[in-house]
Amino acid sequence: MDINHSLPLEYSTEENRLKIFGFWIFLGAEIMLFATLFAAYFTLYNRTAGGPDGAEIFQITPVFLETILLLTSSFTIGLGIHAMRLGRVKAMMGFFIVTLLLGLGFLSVEVFEFITYVHEGAGIQTSAFTSSLLATLGTHGAHVTLGFFWGLFILIQVKKRGLTPATANKSFIFSLYWHFLDVVWIFIFSFIYLKGMM
Amino acid sequence: MSELFPFKQVMGFVFSMVLTAVALGVYFFDMSFAVGMTVLLVTAFLQAGLQLVVFMHAGETEDKGAIYTNVYYGLIIALVTVFGTLLAMVWDMG
Repeated sequence: MDINHSLPLEYSTEENRLKIFGFWIFLGAEIMLFATLFAAYFTLYNRTAGGPDGAEIFQITPVFLETILLLTSSFTIGLGIHAMRLGRVKAMMGFFIVTLLLGLGFLSVEVFEFITYVHEGAGIQTSAFTSSLLATLGTHGAHVTLGFFWGLFILIQVKKRGLTPATANKSFIFSLYWHFLDVVWIFIFSFIYLKGMM
Repeated sequence: MSELFPFKQVMGFVFSMVLTAVALGVYFFDMSFAVGMTVLLVTAFLQAGLQLVVFMHAGETEDKGAIYTNVYYGLIIALVTVFGTLLAMVWDMG
């Protein structure tokens, strides 16, 4: 294996570099996926069919909590990658654990939010508004759930195998995914929640 | 310990909190739809750019050009999808 030591471990082989680039292409496709969900939501958000609208069901407290949890987790995983580049495996794993706990916190608030919506008569079949809303939030939430388990398994692998070009590469790619989910959340926070409560 | 908290990333985090606070302004203060949407558009895209450059290390390697091309491509398709849909489905209902 041709290892270039002038680059961080996760880029150190050509295969690793290409895997990172390939993941960026996947994220490009993810941008488009979420764009279609936003397009549907913006078209349908005032078709409430007699059910509640955004201003009635959105609450600032859980939304604010979710935003802080996810933004902070994006910061801590960035610190995790920084620690990884310093070769500080323990610190890296610590930051990854904090990240995953914050992710779990985010998911808990989101589940609580969905339960509240259903209790307020805003289920996924209530109206075009609730369908497009819950499809968008749910797709993001499903990504975070997947990311939680992905991150967990990478953490276990780093613990077992230590930092190698392969585990560093996987950790870095996971961090890209996690930051991306934060970016998507920013758009949900701004153009679904805040716009709906404005 | 301090080597674990690089200045650039800490500042990036502080700035992202500030952007969140500014965006929350549209909820706490009374403003017109146009002003509110402008605030949200500016804060959301700044926040996304911040993540991309500070945290995702988009411009770090020789793949920089290809990575940015790919992101811009995704973004253009996303904007055409969203605004094209609005144009066809919402804005033409006079």
